Amino acid sequence: MTEQLPIVIILGPLLGAVLAAFTAWFRPKLSHPLVVVGLGISFAAALKLVFIVADSGAQKYWLGGWGTKQGHGVVGIQITVDHLNTLLLAAVSGIALLTAQYTKRLVDAELAGRQRYFYALFSLLVTGLLGITITGDIFNLYVFMEIAALSSYALIAYGRGRAYMASFNYLIMGTMGACLYLLGVGFVFAKAGTLNIDDVSAIIPELGQSQALFVGFVLILLGAWAKMAFFPFHGWLPNAYAYAPTASTALLAPLATKVSVYAMLRIMVTVYSIDYIIHSPATQSLVLYLSSLAIVAASFFSLTQTNLKKLAAYFVLSEIGYMVGGAWLANKPGLTGAMVHVVADAAMTSALFMAIGCIVYRLGQAQLDDLKGVFFKMPVTMAAFVVTMAALIGVPPTCGFFSKWYLIQGAAQAGVWHFVAALLLSSLVKAIILFRIIEIGYNRVPHPAIEGNPAIPRNEAPLSMLIPTVAMALGLIALGLGTSTLVNTIISKALPAALTP
Amino acid sequence: MQNLISNFNYVIVVILMMIGLWSMLAQKNLIKKCIGMAIFQTGIILFFISIGAKDNALIPILTEAANHTYHDPDVAKVANPLTQILMLTAIVVGVATLGVGLALAQKIYQQHSSFDEDEILENQRK
Amino acid sequence: MSTLPIWQFDALLLIMVVLFAVVALSIRNLMGAAIVFGAYSFMMCLIWAGMGAVDVAFTEAAVGAGVSTVFVMSTLYNTGATMHRRTGGLAFKLFIGVVVTVAGVFLLSALPDLPAWGDPDSPVNAAVAPYYITHTIADAHVPNVVTSVLADYRGFDTLLETTVVFIACIAIYSILRVDKAKLETDEPAVVAAPRYDPGDSLIVRQASRFMVPFMQLFALYVIAHGHYSPGGGFQGGVILGASLILLAISFDLKFLLRQWSEKTLMMLVASGVFLYAAVGLACVFMGGNYLDYGELNSILPGERDMARSHGILLVEIGVGITVMFSMIAIHINLASNGRFDRGL
Repeated sequence: MTEQLPIVIILGPLLGAVLAAFTAWFRPKLSHPLVVVGLGISFAAALKLVFIVADSGAQKYWLGGWGTKQGHGVVGIQITVDHLNTLLLAAVSGIALLTAQYTKRLVDAELAGRQRYFYALFSLLVTGLLGITITGDIFNLYVFMEIAALSSYALIAYGRGRAYMASFNYLIMGTMGACLYLLGVGFVFAKAGTLNIDDVSAIIPELGQSQALFVGFVLILLGAWAKMAFFPFHGWLPNAYAYAPTASTALLAPLATKVSVYAMLRIMVTVYSIDYIIHSPATQSLVLYLSSLAIVAASFFSLTQTNLKKLAAYFVLSEIGYMVGGAWLANKPGLTGAMVHVVADAAMTSALFMAIGCIVYRLGQAQLDDLKGVFFKMPVTMAAFVVTMAALIGVPPTCGFFSKWYLIQGAAQAGVWHFVAALLLSSLVKAIILFRIIEIGYNRVPHPAIEGNPAIPRNEAPLSMLIPTVAMALGLIALGLGTSTLVNTIISKALPAALTP
Repeated sequence: MQNLISNFNYVIVVILMMIGLWSMLAQKNLIKKCIGMAIFQTGIILFFISIGAKDNALIPILTEAANHTYHDPDVAKVANPLTQILMLTAIVVGVATLGVGLALAQKIYQQHSSFDEDEILENQRK
Repeated sequence: MSTLPIWQFDALLLIMVVLFAVVALSIRNLMGAAIVFGAYSFMMCLIWAGMGAVDVAFTEAAVGAGVSTVFVMSTLYNTGATMHRRTGGLAFKLFIGVVVTVAGVFLLSALPDLPAWGDPDSPVNAAVAPYYITHTIADAHVPNVVTSVLADYRGFDTLLETTVVFIACIAIYSILRVDKAKLETDEPAVVAAPRYDPGDSLIVRQASRFMVPFMQLFALYVIAHGHYSPGGGFQGGVILGASLILLAISFDLKFLLRQWSEKTLMMLVASGVFLYAAVGLACVFMGGNYLDYGELNSILPGERDMARSHGILLVEIGVGITVMFSMIAIHINLASNGRFDRGL
């Protein structure tokens, strides 16, 4: 039975979504439980696979039973769970499960009367993201990418008002990215003849210096960048995440861009191999400059924001810069940092948006200046918020510190000092913003504990939202403490062997 | 002549894709963006079909098998089925995206009475 | 040499396709742009058929030229917008033009490295594809290699593709559908579409009434005979959907909704995907991998290859169901702006 686990990861949310869409017409209350059950099954399978992979190595699964045929390579579609994606699979399905429970109240409040297909679309988005992570076939990745994309356009459009234009812009940029990716796959396919990732990675070194392969690589990269909102394709993200309903952003923000970063990592590390990157130093330094620029620009813009959701969206943009830069450093600490950061950032962003969601639910809006006294009104939520911000800044023992440490180490080793400067600058900016929020939320109202000051009523978020938020915030600390175990047992084995230490 | 024809095909494909891409990014009308998107996607499909084409090949339906007079097919004379499947998927994904794009455009029109991006942005600032 | 018998024809088609694309994008009348776009799709169809890709040409004719054009027209008809004004912003357009030209030159730089056009020994034609051609009869007993690869060897992609159509349907539903009861309070009323008077189109109504059963019969043939001739679930499903869209256009939207209620339509959309996924799951319960139809030989008649053939037919039916009802539901949503009262 355990050899069927890889497909269970995908089937759980897919069947949950289809059944939710079906029953939405005669038993709408079943949608949420069906989706939660589907995600739960998926998370259980993904978790089990983490241990199996740590013990016995990569697990390969051939759909339809079509594996390798003599002289032809793999003739069917393969899905692989190996050291590179097993942690991300568990993280995506786990965060999705927690968010599904978290968003129930938000959906009932923000989307009253329109939520027939919300959870079906939710589950389909998770199916797409899990599929991108698990697939071993470059064309299959495109189809999963489009599943995730179409679901996210609809989830964003639930916000109405300005969300329609935001979703349309995202649609244009996202489709452009997917089409560029597909074109890149076309060039790779034209030279390699097969779509299976393992087979292609074996063929590419034999082809040597090939312009078509280079063009394919650049196109795939541009496609992945458009999907992850890397500079200069970042224009769609702030509006899309700000105007979408908080329930949608809680799922989209932590997961969608990280999975696209994983897709880029998979192409760089497995399909093309790190040697390819190292042998094109011009491209490497260009991408590193772009990453630093992305981080600095996003940090700068986040300082000028007055809306909490847009602020968080700019944080997401700067984190993307970390991961792309770390991956393109092409040395052991840099790549380790990028891989750790993918999982860490998913958790941090999830905790951040959950905390923001609690604030929006209780206060009705998310403007910074209206957060007066929020530390007294919602102490538990704000505690979780502070922990999350500390993780984003990079304070030990949260996970943010360890991933940043690897990235700085990698950049110093490669002598890329502008990247180090950008990383430190963005931490500084986040600290400034945290202090500003503390000032607004704590100091601008008279402290109730001091005699003579009016009491500020506590209006904490409901338990169904509070528990996931606190759990995620505590998870950041747990992840931080467990980072070295994860790196030693799993992530270090995902790094290509021929990498400079 | 042979060289010109084979290169001509690829050149037209690239021109078509770039026309579609330009329209997606530069034009202000939402419907034109959607149509540009569809043109870009069909250009990519043409590219894939081109790389899988074979000279003087027949369609990938083994008719002798249907007539029970089956013998091993000459692979060089049967068109490549793999690229065709990939493109069937791409066409369907394309029309699905087009549908969602049009639905969003219609909703935007309902709000702002215009398909023009500049007018919409102006309207939103009011 | 080109696979078309006369290379001049191929060259002419390619030039016309570029011309149509340019016209569709520059013409000011939006409805005209939709029509020219339909013509563009038909030209593409011909080019692909000429290269031996008949299934793709069939799908493009049904989905791209047929249904896409109807969708664009429904969107435009409902909003009443016909002209798009000439806006400024020349500098930005020029900038994008430069970017796009650079991108085009970059793509063309790979040209000398690509295998020669039509070469039967290129990697694409010589690596995995020959396995499908030589083994399709032995493995699945299906002469249409495209169908066997689509539904068997790469069946997982097709399941996901069907899911994409399903997602588009529920996404468009979620975006557009408004409850009439909440109409006044929610969003401003749509610009009034021209009133449709059913009185003066007797010929249209009777002709379409006559055509619909033949269309549906042909569509069912296309689905069932997809093993032996160009066709399959997608094409057949789209034609079935088109037959009912024809009823909606020639009569009235309400006429169609009386036969097929909104609830039935949307529930059936989900059931097609469920059928496909369930067939795959049945294979797992029989002991094989997901979508390994050969394992179904314990419950279906015949040996493993016939079981595959039957499995392919079952999933094609699932695909056909989802595609048919998705197309209808998307059209109704687009044409009536989500109100489900009147439309094209």
